[in-house]
Amino acid sequence: MTLDVFRYEGEQRIAAALGLSAAFGLMGLAFVATAPLVTSDVATSAQFEQLTTQLPQPFVQAFGLESLSSAEGLLAGEFYTLFWSLFFGIYLAYTAAGSIADDVETDRMDVLLSAPISRGAVVFEKFLALLVPIVTASVVTPVVIVLAAAYIDVTVPLAELAVLHALSIPYLLCCGAIGLALSVSLDDADTARNAAIGLLFALYLFQSFVPVTDVGWLANVAPMAHFDPNDILLDGVYDVAGAALLLAATVVLVGLSRLRFIRMDIQ
Amino acid sequence: MAAITTEGLTKHYGDVRANEELSFEVREGEVFGYLGPNGAGKSTTIRTLMGFQSPTSGSATVLGHDVTDRKAMIEAKRHLGYVPAEMGFDEDVTGNRFLRYQASLKGDSRSEELLELFDPPMDREIGEYSTGNKRKLAIVLAFMHDPDLVIMDKPTSGLDPLMQERFYEFIRDEQARGKTFFFSSHILSEVQKICDRVGVIRNGHLVELEDVETLLDRGGKRVSVRVADPVDREAFAIEGAHDVSVAGDERSPQPTTADGGESGDGARTASDRPSSADEPSGNGNSSSGGRDGTSVSFTFTGDYNDLLSHLVAYDILDLDIADAPLEDVFMRFYGEVDPDTESAAGGTAEAESSPEESADV
Repeated sequence: MTLDVFRYEGEQRIAAALGLSAAFGLMGLAFVATAPLVTSDVATSAQFEQLTTQLPQPFVQAFGLESLSSAEGLLAGEFYTLFWSLFFGIYLAYTAAGSIADDVETDRMDVLLSAPISRGAVVFEKFLALLVPIVTASVVTPVVIVLAAAYIDVTVPLAELAVLHALSIPYLLCCGAIGLALSVSLDDADTARNAAIGLLFALYLFQSFVPVTDVGWLANVAPMAHFDPNDILLDGVYDVAGAALLLAATVVLVGLSRLRFIRMDIQ
Repeated sequence: MAAITTEGLTKHYGDVRANEELSFEVREGEVFGYLGPNGAGKSTTIRTLMGFQSPTSGSATVLGHDVTDRKAMIEAKRHLGYVPAEMGFDEDVTGNRFLRYQASLKGDSRSEELLELFDPPMDREIGEYSTGNKRKLAIVLAFMHDPDLVIMDKPTSGLDPLMQERFYEFIRDEQARGKTFFFSSHILSEVQKICDRVGVIRNGHLVELEDVETLLDRGGKRVSVRVADPVDREAFAIEGAHDVSVAGDERSPQPTTADGGESGDGARTASDRPSSADEPSGNGNSSSGGRDGTSVSFTFTGDYNDLLSHLVAYDILDLDIADAPLEDVFMRFYGEVDPDTESAAGGTAEAESSPEESADV
């Protein structure tokens, strides 16, 4: 396997990866910079206390309002839960959703498949190219956060931060795999992309609100249920089994996408 | 070994019967023209041959490999070039970058030479390319790994006439080197120029498969004659004469011949047609009302002696007899719209030639 498709597709993703990393870096910087203000002023105020007790508990958890009293709580509850897991997850699912369907739609797939290359390799290597934004952002973001924290003298747990990023990779790949599955299942690229955004957001809300009901176990279908930045950063609890599960789900989804793409008519 | 074989090849998209029971063979070293109106099912066949889709029934081989065998098709594609109808190239990379990508996938033994012949702007992003430049790039990409067989889906659309000529010349040279070509087109003049044999497809059915020569023989001659005295159309109602038109005659059959026919697209120039010489004179006469005699033109498929003995009765100012253009041949043999076959493929995008094309005749 020469990975020519991966190399080309990966190269095409570099610009987006750098842009994304810069955005996450800036966002992380902003969170760290405002941490002293939020943790000492806002989170300890009486109004905020009142607000969190009045809001429904799942809502407070979904948007990380309980953990605003420390810098790592702010990072875990807001930055890593919302921006990193939800938005980055959606971005990857969205990108993957276009990877096959868009090429088929714009006839690029015809040109690619007229070369001596297997369809299975095309699916696999296009998926692998998602690692470019994932790895770039996973390196840039924590470095920026740690440097910023050191500069303004805020403590951020280093080991936990590293583990958080390591464990987020299976989660992010799984989000991409969901997008890939949509990309080979839906004819229209725009439909696939929109479905990816909708599905990921719905899964996020679902796993936030369903645990308080009688069928709380259903929340496990959402990838977010197996990756919790709060547990890692605040409590030092690492859900390695969850990460393994996400990786397994990724392998299954990519495998099914491959099978489907190998058998489908390209029109 | 035949370069391409199809045996009862059938492809349906839901209710649309795009290809029905196609059986033909493309021999090694020939240029095979695959001819038919837009929507006749040409691209469907090509997509099946390229392994992009599976046939509904029947079978096909390319370079001896079964098109439904995925592993075999990967092997076949090492020796197969493809010029697609729609050139799907990444818009935001330069021609050079895309060429390098393709080279990594299938090898590159002659892109330099090809770039000298067809020179797309390789340093520019493909998104800025004109259709003609994309077409040039597509040709370079199709031939860069020196394939034995090249499948081309309307390869000259978008090329300017000069480039078209260069391309035809290139194909003739490549054929001399032993290459095989499968070539879909709705431009009859180009098929006439470079193809050895043609398969004519209509509504998904193969309606004809023969030498271009035979097709032309059956097509007869285009006769243009200018006589000194005014004549009537009826005067030329001799056996074997079709579509008789007299210059300035309101009852000229021109519009009706255009009806069922398939003609070239806008890229075709008048000089592509062997019979074009008679057209300007015909047009000129219709405006000057027979001052220089009367022009009569028709297609003749009868006995030449009958034609000549008919002509001696006139005072002839000018006479031109040439092979009938394939357009006319095609129209006469296949132009009649058969209601049965029409309804079989009907109600879909697979429509007959568009109005603008008919108007082009």
